[in-house]
Amino acid sequence: MEAQIVKPTQATTRFQDFWGVFRKNYMGLVGLMMLVSAILVAIFAPVLSPYDPSSTFDVTTSDIYNPPSSTHWLGTDDAGQDVLTNFIFGARVSLTIGFFAAFISLAIGGVFGIIAGFYGGRTEEVLMRFTDIMLVIPDLPLMMVLIALTKPSIINIIIVIGALYWTTTARVVRSQTLAVKSRKFVLRARAIGAGKGHIIRHHILPLVLPILVVQAVLVVSSAVLAESTLSFLGLGDPTALSWGQMLNYAFGRGAMSTGAWWALVVPGFGIVWVVLGLTLLGQGLEQVLNPRLDTHHLMPSRPPVKSEAAKRSDEETLLEVKNLSINYVNDGHAPARAVENISFTLKKGELIGLVGESGCGKTTLMLGLLRLLPSAGQIVNGQVYFKDQELTALSETELNKVRWRGVSIVFQGAMNALNPVRTVGDQIAEAIIQHLPDFDSKNIPGRVTDLLELVGIAAEHKDQYPHQYSGGMRQRAMIAMALACNPEVVIADEPTTALDVMIQAQILELLDELRKKLGLAIVFVTHDLGVVAEMCDKVLVMYGGVTAEYAEVDTIYNMPRHPYTQELLKAFPDLTKPKKKLSSIPGYPPRLDALPSGCRFAPRCPAAFDRCRTEQPALHELAGDTHIVSCHLVEASK
Amino acid sequence: MSQENILEVRGLKKYFEAGRPSLFSRNVPQVHAVDGVNLDLRKSEVIALVGESGCGKSTLSLLLMGLEDPTEGRITFEGRDITHLTDTQRKGLRRKIQMVFQDPYESLNPTQTIEEIVAEPLYVHKLDVSKNIVDEKVKKAMEDAGLKPAEVYLKRHPHELSGGQRQRVVIASALVLEPEIILADEPVSMLDVSIRAEIINLLAELRITRQIAVIFITHDLGSVGFFADRVAVMYLGRIVEIGTMLDVLEKPQHPYTKALLSVIPVPNPRLRHERIILQGETPNPINLPTGCRFHPRCPVAIPACKASDPALMQISKTQQAACILLVK
Repeated sequence: MEAQIVKPTQATTRFQDFWGVFRKNYMGLVGLMMLVSAILVAIFAPVLSPYDPSSTFDVTTSDIYNPPSSTHWLGTDDAGQDVLTNFIFGARVSLTIGFFAAFISLAIGGVFGIIAGFYGGRTEEVLMRFTDIMLVIPDLPLMMVLIALTKPSIINIIIVIGALYWTTTARVVRSQTLAVKSRKFVLRARAIGAGKGHIIRHHILPLVLPILVVQAVLVVSSAVLAESTLSFLGLGDPTALSWGQMLNYAFGRGAMSTGAWWALVVPGFGIVWVVLGLTLLGQGLEQVLNPRLDTHHLMPSRPPVKSEAAKRSDEETLLEVKNLSINYVNDGHAPARAVENISFTLKKGELIGLVGESGCGKTTLMLGLLRLLPSAGQIVNGQVYFKDQELTALSETELNKVRWRGVSIVFQGAMNALNPVRTVGDQIAEAIIQHLPDFDSKNIPGRVTDLLELVGIAAEHKDQYPHQYSGGMRQRAMIAMALACNPEVVIADEPTTALDVMIQAQILELLDELRKKLGLAIVFVTHDLGVVAEMCDKVLVMYGGVTAEYAEVDTIYNMPRHPYTQELLKAFPDLTKPKKKLSSIPGYPPRLDALPSGCRFAPRCPAAFDRCRTEQPALHELAGDTHIVSCHLVEASK
Repeated sequence: MSQENILEVRGLKKYFEAGRPSLFSRNVPQVHAVDGVNLDLRKSEVIALVGESGCGKSTLSLLLMGLEDPTEGRITFEGRDITHLTDTQRKGLRRKIQMVFQDPYESLNPTQTIEEIVAEPLYVHKLDVSKNIVDEKVKKAMEDAGLKPAEVYLKRHPHELSGGQRQRVVIASALVLEPEIILADEPVSMLDVSIRAEIINLLAELRITRQIAVIFITHDLGSVGFFADRVAVMYLGRIVEIGTMLDVLEKPQHPYTKALLSVIPVPNPRLRHERIILQGETPNPINLPTGCRFHPRCPVAIPACKASDPALMQISKTQQAACILLVK
């Protein structure tokens, strides 16, 4: 489950949220400034321009194609007019055409897209086939024909460009509508009794809007370009001097041969400036409105901070985590202490349960063990020993030999973790080839079959795709993949969450069997204390990134000392006393970037007293060193 | 009909067509999602509908909501046949039966504020368009759903709330119409264990404070414990066992119910017990097994199970189960 944003923050409007992110996006800001400057020039044209564009009566032949001078900063054109003045007034024409044409095309494309996406069936078929036809007709020749047939006035140009540039918008909007339509809140709206119009207005449109905004920016730039092209080809409105028209006149009337470069460069610059500005703005908006673009799983995390190696407790342990702390670096703010001072050991064939609510740092800890943290994550203290290797000190290359071959992971959400376009057998084979390059390739198919059978999948399903598997089978396939290189430790991240109880029981039984058969050591990450009680040897209960309690399984369930463990157990329905009312833990786990100053559980703890709110409790060892509790209450009884 | 039943379901069936008819045959394979369900719901009663994925419990809930049209059978609400209604006729009814969905992360529109979400049903039904009354109703519904004080939450967006709080928003937006029945489809399965109890307790309170009947759909028999009055266990589109909560939890009759009960995790290692783990998953409802639908996975099946399809039998005054082995 995702880390939750829990503490209610200051309510903000969507625009404020958007602006907060957007103003950090330099590309978008530069684009916006370029566009705004062009719009300002167009609006204040009469104030800015040195001459009146319509005054032509005192022009003489000696004024034609004069180079830039103090009277004409950017020279004069073929009619002896001031190029700067024409450039400034040209912005008006070009931008007006661009914006109005874009408006028309967005309106057509938006309506087509939403109707096609929302109603589906025959309507969609007809609308989208029409869109496809429009898409394959070459725009430019068609535009030329249409303009040539009608009178080349500004209005006609706007209508023609608008009527031809909507196809991409329609397709983008349709696919977004389809995606939004299948979301649960639309079903909820239907269940409330809302009609189609209401659903489109209140549920579809607001989610399509961001895409429409990006699309709008891009369409304006195509429209400006289209108008320039038309004018350059001599199909512009002869009475309105746009930048394209300026190019057309200069080009057609000997600016090249007379060396009057200014007459060509100046309008060209205007077009490039506006189109570039719009493109940058569009890209910036895309990044802000679709933020998934900049995080992915291939970014390396920060190198671990070297720390003094602590003495190891036992030479026999397979995996030993010593005082591990992991921070998330947060630009300009205090780092989020996601994991702090966690220690545990794991022997061959042992199963440890790592238990805690969402957002308590258990997934971070698990990823930290193999240094698979997202790019903001950093190990700031502690060691991870796998047999005699210290994983936080290894280089990436050395670590890659441990990943999967020594320690492997069964990821949460089997559907997302499997590649949908490759067969399951293929993906398991890939894991073998990747990690065991020496493995004889002739034996791979046999090995894949063995692995699948080991997890209870018949060999005939080897060549099927993940979507042909049921939820339980996918989870089994994930386990087979984790076993591909005979690892000694398997980390299972919520392997049974989101599965039905019966399938959950099957997967638990399988893991238990594998542990006995192969001597696997398993780290079982879960939020459900009930699941681990069935098979764990030890349990580590985490809260807010720290150890709450760490003990043998029997101690955790029958003699829990930390109030958090006690409360978690009470929240569990007990079938032996079915009439008992369930208790819950009021409140929510702390945000890792705003931790309380004392004990992290104090705000929700029924037994908290003053000291808990100011001082973080130490890790107290009870019963030798087999039971660790971080609570002020146990200090006295030590 | 009995006076106190507010909802009666008789012989309800829903078949979906799987694929299109081919050129050569007019027979379209049918998915038997719901296949003959009878169920009564009394005023302010809580019924838990339990079964694995693919047993038809979600389709049944969509049928009851009128979001799917049944193939056969009859649904009566307060004595009125509501099986096939037009959208306009249905609209008034929607106020009376409200639904709480499984995934509070998905079932709220991220662009709306909490106030807009909770008030939306009132505007959709064009009730109380006066702003004051709407505000008051919204506030009351939110506070009844445990979002206190309501002012803190009104202007927030769903992403600013935790999973438990979001589920409370969903419940508040159901309460604002003052429904008679709430259909809760796995309302806690996406939530942390520590928060599940809160939501279950909330639903349990509502039946007392607002006399709302609840149909609680879940795959986890363990979570229905203290608040369900009756439990119905579904398998492949049918109810295979129904009885009071104590009947079903303490003396289950059907082998499927017994298996479901045995796999509920017990949070105590000293009580580790023998579990009846059924192999495989619910079969495909296109090609139903002959005879008893459960026989291919049943640990105690006898040859006769392949041949005859058992009907629900009265076990006691309050309990019924469908298994050939129960015939004395």
